[in-house]
Amino acid sequence: MEERLKLSRIYIIACLSMIVIGIAALVVAFIGDPQRAWANYLLNNVYFLSLAVGAMFFLSIQRVSHSGWSAGFIRVPEAMGAYIPIAAVLFLLLIPGAHSLYHWSHADAVSHDSLLAHKAPYLNLPFWVIRMVVFFGLWILMTWLIRRLSRREDLSGGLSFFKKGEHYAKIFIFIVIITFSFAMIDWIMSIDAHWYSTIFAIKNFVAAFHHAAIIIVFIVLILNQRGYFPFLSKSHVGDFSRYIFMLCIIWGYFWFTEFMLIWYANIPEETTYFITRVRGEGWRPFFFANLLINWFLPFVLLMPKAIGQNKLVVKIVIPVLIVGQFIDLYLQIFPGTVGKQVLGFQEIGIFVGFAGLFMLVVGYALSRGNLYPVNHPYLEECKHHHT
Amino acid sequence: MEAQYLIGVFDEEESMLTAFRRMKEEELEIEDVFTPYPIHEVLDNHGRKSKITIVGWFYGLFAALGVLAFLVYTAVIDWPLNYGGKPSSAFPSFIVVTIILTILSITILSLGTFSWRANLWPSNEKPIYHDRATDDKFVILVKKENVDQNKASSLFKETGASEILEK
Repeated sequence: MEERLKLSRIYIIACLSMIVIGIAALVVAFIGDPQRAWANYLLNNVYFLSLAVGAMFFLSIQRVSHSGWSAGFIRVPEAMGAYIPIAAVLFLLLIPGAHSLYHWSHADAVSHDSLLAHKAPYLNLPFWVIRMVVFFGLWILMTWLIRRLSRREDLSGGLSFFKKGEHYAKIFIFIVIITFSFAMIDWIMSIDAHWYSTIFAIKNFVAAFHHAAIIIVFIVLILNQRGYFPFLSKSHVGDFSRYIFMLCIIWGYFWFTEFMLIWYANIPEETTYFITRVRGEGWRPFFFANLLINWFLPFVLLMPKAIGQNKLVVKIVIPVLIVGQFIDLYLQIFPGTVGKQVLGFQEIGIFVGFAGLFMLVVGYALSRGNLYPVNHPYLEECKHHHT
Repeated sequence: MEAQYLIGVFDEEESMLTAFRRMKEEELEIEDVFTPYPIHEVLDNHGRKSKITIVGWFYGLFAALGVLAFLVYTAVIDWPLNYGGKPSSAFPSFIVVTIILTILSITILSLGTFSWRANLWPSNEKPIYHDRATDDKFVILVKKENVDQNKASSLFKETGASEILEK
């Protein structure tokens, strides 16, 4: 069962050239409109960090629930977790851009605004940076512990690593729910510092989990196409698409809960957020596309069991949902920072660059170790999984 | 009353599955199989795939449209009331009620359909073919009129049935 992923030269060159495109687009964006560049930088940072954290959460859920069906694939979410330290570096580079993104970071704005002054003990730049460091410190530590255990299990075997891994997974779930919620409030919700929504954090957390699950399935299916994961059966594909199906419903549920309560209560401070996005120039199609792509499409397409087990359909749904997560974050970040609806080669180029980096890191992390967890107690169950 | 069914009782899953496969090969019609836990091979190859999911989907569609129509009729057409200055055809406010009532309708209608199809009404006495079927025994049931009895009972014997009954 021992097998290592070999990264082809073409893959590495493709990733590197994507990164070059991204850097070029970022430079062009900075020359043209620094605020737009920072907004893009934040968006892509959050996007790919969400995937990494969501993947580690997916892994922890599998560990805690003693899932047999997914045991053979856990190296994929583990490898996605390897992106978190890279994301930490990229997020620290965001600090100089805070002034372009968050108007609570301007001292004169706070002095003229009693609401911002009231929030200043929490929303100030030093504390914001400290929180960022703490969040990343905790995530990197837990990811490192979980991944190290899994690698050691490969070498020596035995149940002790599995039990310890379950213990760490519980701690990670506890930590990540709290820290990721605060992180989303810090990095995205505070863009509209006057506005607040109590369900915002969990909605974004579910979005991260939703789209991380999608990327996990995508990587598994691509590797399977290249001859890896020979034990992948229809039942696995069916269960993976059940995961996407389930998460799209939860995402839609939280999206609607946030929207409907604000719409119903009709409090001016809250409704401005949605009025900008529904009635504002250019945002309206994105607002509805967000709901259609992230909820309606997977809900309708993946509902019948036979379609959910079809690799081709799942492969078609996934790229659309990758765009869906972009639209979701785009709608949250851009109206509050750039102000007008812009979508040009800068947005696409920077996204391509980040995607290249993510692919490179995940591919490298996957190729470093054994592709299958050979001593995982549930590996045999995974191979014979049948629904 | 004359016995209608021939019943093969097995101790092991594997021997029951061998009998099951051979009966499929020899085209002996199986009436029903009772097992302590779901066995995928039996579910897939028995040839009696449940259509309750499809029925459930149509119940859901019917319920969702029905509830929406009801809400539109009561709140927009028949008796429009002004709630907080919102238009009376306020679509987002209908959704929650629709979701909840759709789930309730699917549950109740599917339960009714399932009970009707499986003859599980309260007054209906369901025959028990073997006391330990679904307990720790694996039971294959065939209708006598549909199969060659000697062939079936010898097949049960060969594949290791612990008991062969008529009922």
